[in-house]
Amino acid sequence: MRKPHAPASPPPCNPASLSQQPAGDIRTMTSRKMVQSSGFLSLAVVLVSVLHLTAGIAHGQKTAVAPATPSEPKPAEEVEFPKVVQPLLKKYCVRCHNVDTMKSGVRVDHLTGAAEDRHLALWNGVLKQVTTESMPPENEPQPTASERKSLTNWIGRSLMVARSRPTPRNGAVRRLTVSQYRNTLRDLLGLQEDFTEVLPPDGLSKDGFTNHEQSLTLSPLQIEAYFDIAERALDAAIVDETKRPVIQNFRMELGSKINPEPCPDILILGALSELLNNADFLVRELKPGKPFDYDPLRMRTAYDFIEGYAGNDTVRGWKKFDSIYHSVFACVRGTPGYPKGQAQQVIPSGLLLRPAIPSPEIFGQSNTYGPMANFKISLRELPQEGNFRVTVEAARYDDALLLNPGEKIQEATAASATTADLSTSPDAMLSIDKAGLYQIDVHCAPGDSQGLFSLKLGERDFSGQLHESKSGDAKDAEQVAAFAIARLPAGELKLIAHFGNNSRLKRIVLSRVADDSEPGKRFLAFEKRSPLLGVHLGLRRDCGSTLAQAGDIQTVSAGELRDYVFEGAIRDFPSPDVEKDNVNYLAGIREIGVRSEYTDGRDMPRLLVRSIEFEGPYFASWPPASHRKIFIESPHRQEPATYASEVICSFASRAFRRPITAIEEKSHLAVWQKSIAKGRTSEQSIKDALLVVLTSPQFLFLIEKSSGPQAEELDPYELASKLSYFLWNTAPDERLLELAAKNKLHESLDPEIERMIRDPRFGQFTQEFASQWLSLDKFDVVAVDAGRYPKLTRDAKTQLRQEPVQFLRHLIERNLPLRNLVQADFVVANEVVASYYNLADRSESGMRFVPIKHENGSLGGVLTQAAILAGLSDGREANPTKRGAWLARKIIAEPPDDPPPNVPQLKDDDGSKLTLRQKLERHRNQEGCAKCHSGIDPWGIPFQKFEAGGLFKPDPMIDSRSTLPDGTEVAELTDLKAYLAEKRIDQVAFSFLKHTASYATGRSLSYNELAFLREQGVKLRANDYRLQDMLRFVIHSDLFLKK
Amino acid sequence: MLSPAKLDRRAVLKGLAGVTLALPLLEAMGKDVAEQQPRRFCAMYTANGMSLPNKKNGIDDWSWFPTKEGKEFEFGKSTEPLRPFREKLSFLSGMYHPNGPKADPHLCSDMWLTGAPLHNPKPGTFNAVALDQVVAQHTKQYCRQPSLVLSIDAGVGFLSRTGTISYNSEGKPIPAENNPRRVFDRLFRGDRSSLAQQREGLQRRIRLIDAVLESTRLLNKQLGQSDREKMDQYLTSLNEIESRLIASEKWIDVPLKKQDYSKLDLDVTTETDKPADYYRNMFDLIALAFDADITRSVAFMLNREDGMGISDTFPLKLGLGRTHHNLSHAEDKEGQLAFAKYDLFLSEQVAHFLGRLQEYKDLGGSVLDNTIVLFGSGASTTHNPTNLPTLIAGGANMGLRHGVHIRQANTPMSNAYLSILRSMKIEAASFADSTGVLHDSIFSAI
Repeated sequence: MRKPHAPASPPPCNPASLSQQPAGDIRTMTSRKMVQSSGFLSLAVVLVSVLHLTAGIAHGQKTAVAPATPSEPKPAEEVEFPKVVQPLLKKYCVRCHNVDTMKSGVRVDHLTGAAEDRHLALWNGVLKQVTTESMPPENEPQPTASERKSLTNWIGRSLMVARSRPTPRNGAVRRLTVSQYRNTLRDLLGLQEDFTEVLPPDGLSKDGFTNHEQSLTLSPLQIEAYFDIAERALDAAIVDETKRPVIQNFRMELGSKINPEPCPDILILGALSELLNNADFLVRELKPGKPFDYDPLRMRTAYDFIEGYAGNDTVRGWKKFDSIYHSVFACVRGTPGYPKGQAQQVIPSGLLLRPAIPSPEIFGQSNTYGPMANFKISLRELPQEGNFRVTVEAARYDDALLLNPGEKIQEATAASATTADLSTSPDAMLSIDKAGLYQIDVHCAPGDSQGLFSLKLGERDFSGQLHESKSGDAKDAEQVAAFAIARLPAGELKLIAHFGNNSRLKRIVLSRVADDSEPGKRFLAFEKRSPLLGVHLGLRRDCGSTLAQAGDIQTVSAGELRDYVFEGAIRDFPSPDVEKDNVNYLAGIREIGVRSEYTDGRDMPRLLVRSIEFEGPYFASWPPASHRKIFIESPHRQEPATYASEVICSFASRAFRRPITAIEEKSHLAVWQKSIAKGRTSEQSIKDALLVVLTSPQFLFLIEKSSGPQAEELDPYELASKLSYFLWNTAPDERLLELAAKNKLHESLDPEIERMIRDPRFGQFTQEFASQWLSLDKFDVVAVDAGRYPKLTRDAKTQLRQEPVQFLRHLIERNLPLRNLVQADFVVANEVVASYYNLADRSESGMRFVPIKHENGSLGGVLTQAAILAGLSDGREANPTKRGAWLARKIIAEPPDDPPPNVPQLKDDDGSKLTLRQKLERHRNQEGCAKCHSGIDPWGIPFQKFEAGGLFKPDPMIDSRSTLPDGTEVAELTDLKAYLAEKRIDQVAFSFLKHTASYATGRSLSYNELAFLREQGVKLRANDYRLQDMLRFVIHSDLFLKK
Repeated sequence: MLSPAKLDRRAVLKGLAGVTLALPLLEAMGKDVAEQQPRRFCAMYTANGMSLPNKKNGIDDWSWFPTKEGKEFEFGKSTEPLRPFREKLSFLSGMYHPNGPKADPHLCSDMWLTGAPLHNPKPGTFNAVALDQVVAQHTKQYCRQPSLVLSIDAGVGFLSRTGTISYNSEGKPIPAENNPRRVFDRLFRGDRSSLAQQREGLQRRIRLIDAVLESTRLLNKQLGQSDREKMDQYLTSLNEIESRLIASEKWIDVPLKKQDYSKLDLDVTTETDKPADYYRNMFDLIALAFDADITRSVAFMLNREDGMGISDTFPLKLGLGRTHHNLSHAEDKEGQLAFAKYDLFLSEQVAHFLGRLQEYKDLGGSVLDNTIVLFGSGASTTHNPTNLPTLIAGGANMGLRHGVHIRQANTPMSNAYLSILRSMKIEAASFADSTGVLHDSIFSAI
């Protein structure tokens, strides 16, 4: 460690010492030199400026110094500094706050009279500490009142001078973030596949954003990855036009006895294989009608395998197989034990599925077999690349609502009930007078359970457990079960029952149920619901499957069979990667899963699946659109050099997001020429040139060229990119580029902003911004104690994770006032999220996020969202420091400083039992800790009643009273929310503006820019700080529009 | 287009073609490729755990873990053949992958080098990157092949019955080689056409990077001072990649080190009746590959879990009466003793390997001194993924201080892996679910 650098007289400035000391010391020494000899004043000033600039660049910062020319007089403050201020600093501060001894991480020995931009925050801090007399600490020598006054006076004036300085800008160079790159590549090539798995994740800036120019580093590994990705992407986008595509297309049809020639072999796909009966499904290979020539793939059916399974044993020994049914399986292996009714039921018209309840998550006994009601086509061959399309023929079943144990049997009167006598035969013909709701009660002779009860009413099939109870005390009293409620048409109805060997069945009574009765209302709600169809793709494992969702979940509300289409890029899904000649029967099995998706377990009609069809690679045209986008139409197709030039220029202009220059055109064509010279074909050589385009900085970076330190307007193309990467997180579309080409973008900002917010791509902004601003990554990594918070399952987490994003999007799209951010009388939720907050009865939107009103003070706004609160915990308990720091940083923009290095461990347990509050007080009251923590903990304590699972628990034992830094007392979080929404809304607005502006520009804001936001932003208060107004305000400001 | 410096480098290196070179070979590759100390890694996996006999069987001296800890540890009967290398190796116990017990126990071999949460994979993924591939990424510029992945079964097996222990950066399994002749031909006798193809591919890449470099320099001229810095970062990275490509191209021309292949029997396959012959040949090949700097990262799967693969029959061929998987489940004295005798057999093979590595001279010592050898299993007793039996040998020049048995208290295995990476001077903040490096352990240079 070097000796402290705070001598009374400056050391001589000789070359040797210069070379040993860092730039910082050179500056300090030079400024002292200024003091010593005013003759060299002007020269030294220039030296200072130049050194400031170079030092600034070495630190990679934007340095703002008043452009000092030899003839300009220095500001008075700068002259006063060494006479008035510096001696005070040296006397009272520098001993503890210098480069070697940075108490609490603060040093002031390097401050100069120039009040540079990068020191302004520190000067502000010094001002605060000195004004409030927090510094120097009590036990140190104190400045006199007049000394304090001159210091604070000087700082105040310097800050004002600094604020009136113009902020010079240079241009900007930011590489695309991983998500921006992914979106841009996808939009440019028209490919769905995600090639970016190999890229390392982006680091975060201090404000938590990935797109900050200084945290976006570049390493050789990344550039290699860019090259590899570009090769693979171009290979995927471009096809060999001379060849015909090979297309795989098959359909599996489902239904009892649907297969007239079932496979005679007993099929086993590993232990507990749970396959459907061979007669209940049929596989057909098809030839889809296409507007182009193709070769249909016929799946291989002849295989020789040496290893397979018989039960749980590995069997060895070669065996030949030759049947489509040893290559394509219908499998329902999942977690057993469906709680109500059968998970799946094969009926003549197809396969009925109940919602796929996720497997329970209990560590140590985790079940990876997948959810209950888990249907999959398991097969050996699927395409390796390209898009695919899965078409499911499905309908909402006209289902009965199974009743729960203990439900009331209906009073059967002659007027309201019809009885089927089953004492001699399990079937009967009934006559229903009035169409409507009927409860089905089953009466049996006493005896043991007979397993599953099934009932066919007309053409419909139902099955489930019978929850029998004795109808009286007599030994031979009947056992009755309230089975289900169904809607029946008037007229003749055939009834067939099945219960074990049917010996116990006596009769079934169908009793009219009034629509407005309790069970009637329950049935009506049930009947209105629609199953949610989801398709998944992946691979089979011995211990389950690894599947990923394909496309979006679709609501199946139609009662008649319809086609539901799901698409994706096959490479985005897990695939088994076994070698072609793997000789294990169980190796390399792919799976296509079809499910009725689970929300929160509410009763709903079953999903009927009649058939599932797969087509891949899927082409709407040949060559595919991605190919034709690159190899454009042209009359010069037969002239290689001319056509190559057209193709390359068209592609490069789209990729560079602006017309290419003549020099760029020449150099890219040169790539083509060199490849041709090496014997590559014209197509290959074009690919080489496109590869260079995709790895050039003009594609990979967002560039704003600046011709000088003065502020300039962005050029139209730069503006188009800045705008689209802000609001869409991807490259500008044709309309934006058109406006840029005509130079009409600047004047069309408002209509364009509105268009962009309405566009689906706006979701790409809200996803990025909300996740990063609100630190949702913490929720992704927190390991929640499953025992304490069983409701917070993997699936619940996935949905809750979306809540803050959807909420913010809703606020912006409706242009709602900002106060809703902290205090709102509604939540934006789907069924899963609503259930988590006990609002299940107000939600019937399936997986869609919709606003739901609530009267609950512990809900509404981001401060009560589970994804945020759970992330700000340790997985077991609430953590007021984390929550306090988050609120201070994100919601009111008073970020606490980083903790100083070498914080010693505090002795937590000295035997005395302390409440968390007391423990925290202990932590805070340590010298050096209190200063920062007094700005953190008070914000976090009101959250104490919100557990690590994110939910409110009204526990009188938990103390959530807090005294905020400005003295306001709050008792509960609702008080804090009201305080923020009413008294500190300007602060909240400033925080939103600051974070938005930082994200929009991809950099930190200067002191002046922050002051601008603070002062001018208040004008938006008149219109309640509506969110779209705020976005427009940022976009129209100089910090965005100028470079 | 190319700077004069580059042209010189290429010309100089081209001139060396046709001349047989002994070590140090690397200096010929140019200063930026040459390095002071080679750093290598070799991971070897055995399945179904080790024999840790029940107390009631009275054969505790056959337990794999050494009795006693620290410098005083003592070899058991099944690890006796490793005694001559006592000062070059260490036993580590008490480590495990936290994700191990959460997943199906058969997944322990899929997980051994990756530590990934296979019970709850990220949507769309299979596994995560394996340790040997992380090493390969950082060492590939110093040798001809990034890595060598071997196994007693060729290919990849399938998930939860994997036939390979190596997974790439996307978590996909890397197919393994199991045939000595194929390995030899590919590594030591690259055929003309594939070399020509390789060269063409490399030259194409270099051309393309040159074009990007030119494009970037043009752009750079138009930028302001502080933005040039960003572009400089880009240029530097591009230059570095170009150097590596040029180096790779040079490898094609630089002839292989002259070595003695006479002890190899390339016709021994996994079908042999003498498993020892198979393992020894494979180990000899690995040692030769290290000595010729063909690769610096090797993964070798010696056995597969749960009765899969041909190695399940090896104990039968050694006269031990039952298959490997069967033996691992034995509770009786005879079975547990036979299982321990298989451990003894493996110890003999590992000792042979260490001996070979020690024979070859290298910069600053022997090849063993510059190689970290990791040997172990994904389970202690079969299907029990805790207290993983782990042996680390070699790496003296990377700060590894051996001759101890260190018992960790339920430490993530990934901490050992991170320690290995750091010892190899690979800057990694973490590996899989590591919580830090191993302190007070055998790694002194991290």
